[in-house]
Amino acid sequence: MTIYEVITVILLLVGCFFFLAGTLGVLRFPDLFSRLHALTKADNLGLGFIAAGMALHIASPWAAVKIFFIWFFTLLASSTSCYLIARFQREQDQPGKGKEDRE
Amino acid sequence: MSILIDGLLAILAIYLALQSLLAPRLSQSVFLFFAFGLALALAWVRLGAVDVAITEAAIAAGFLGVLFLDALRDFSSTISEKHNNTEAIQSSASRKKIKTFLLPRLAFGVGLGLFLLISLEAIWQIPQGGGLTAAAESMLPESGVEHPVTAVLLNFRAYDTWLEIGVILLGLLAIFVTGGIKIYTKPDVVAKDPLLRQVILFFTPVLFLFGAFLLYIGKSGPGGAFQAAVLWGAIGILLHLGGKPVFAMIPRWVGQLVLIMGLGFFLLMGFVFMSGGATLFEYPKAYAGTLILIVETLAAISIAAALTAIYANLNQMKEEPKENESAN
Repeated sequence: MTIYEVITVILLLVGCFFFLAGTLGVLRFPDLFSRLHALTKADNLGLGFIAAGMALHIASPWAAVKIFFIWFFTLLASSTSCYLIARFQREQDQPGKGKEDRE
Repeated sequence: MSILIDGLLAILAIYLALQSLLAPRLSQSVFLFFAFGLALALAWVRLGAVDVAITEAAIAAGFLGVLFLDALRDFSSTISEKHNNTEAIQSSASRKKIKTFLLPRLAFGVGLGLFLLISLEAIWQIPQGGGLTAAAESMLPESGVEHPVTAVLLNFRAYDTWLEIGVILLGLLAIFVTGGIKIYTKPDVVAKDPLLRQVILFFTPVLFLFGAFLLYIGKSGPGGAFQAAVLWGAIGILLHLGGKPVFAMIPRWVGQLVLIMGLGFFLLMGFVFMSGGATLFEYPKAYAGTLILIVETLAAISIAAALTAIYANLNQMKEEPKENESAN
């Protein structure tokens, strides 16, 4: 077992831990906002660790760049959808308030 | 180890399918269906059918997901509107349920039995020695492409692919018929949210590039017209959601031309070469690769346009009555 494999395993385990924490948050947190927080923040961090682990495991620069872009696009898409869902929920909760803020 | 993963995946897929059928709430069903589509895509990857996996993920989890979410929104608004009547409906529904309880069960039982019989027969008849793989691979040099799946789809069985493009167009026509042809009425709605607009602006070229890559790579690896079309269709849907309905911005005849382009060119080319003595959809060997790429590109653009139009029309259908209600 080389040093790279050890680091890969550690990165994957840390990634799995964050995914687990995020899932636990979605299941246990009381309201939509904190659930969104758990889902997008923790899962993206977990995905980042898993992507780093996989990039190290494959050990080819092109594959590493592709894996990085997968992570980057997921990050972008999930943070945007998080923001949109949260905004929608806030406008449902307090009709009119969101509009004033934006204008 | 791999049998463990495959077994888990099989159990997961069946479990998700059952859950998505049995979930008490409609939204749960929809989200479980997404998960089922992704599990199925993973299963296809494990079976080595990467082409099918990409299509499954893109169509089942992506495009159908968008349509389902849209339908879900419609349903939730109608349910909240009719909330007062629900109790009366429920009580009458429960009375009806008792009467017709036996029939669904009987139908389910018969269907399940037939399904099991057919699957058993399918397993029984799995051709030994790889089926038609050898035949397809032996003809590969003549097909103009290097990837056997693309060779089968665009050359050996081009007729099937042509019909598939037609089926999507037929679906769109059905939506035109039921939803009315008066569409794309709101061209100047701009995405109000700056963040959403920026993200859409960012993702549009990325999706375009990735679709073009999938289209081109179909020559030598997993990818092709349908996969590229879903990505390009996603651009159209994103732009529509961001307040830039593509079909409202281009002249009507251009939109119609784009919709039928793939189907039309495919057929026209088939007939032109048929008049030269070939059979329908037979390519001259020298130009086969180039022609397949042209056909695939046009088909991808047409399918993408059709998917966008399907979404845009379905989205439009429920917005019109709302406006009428507010006017009343």
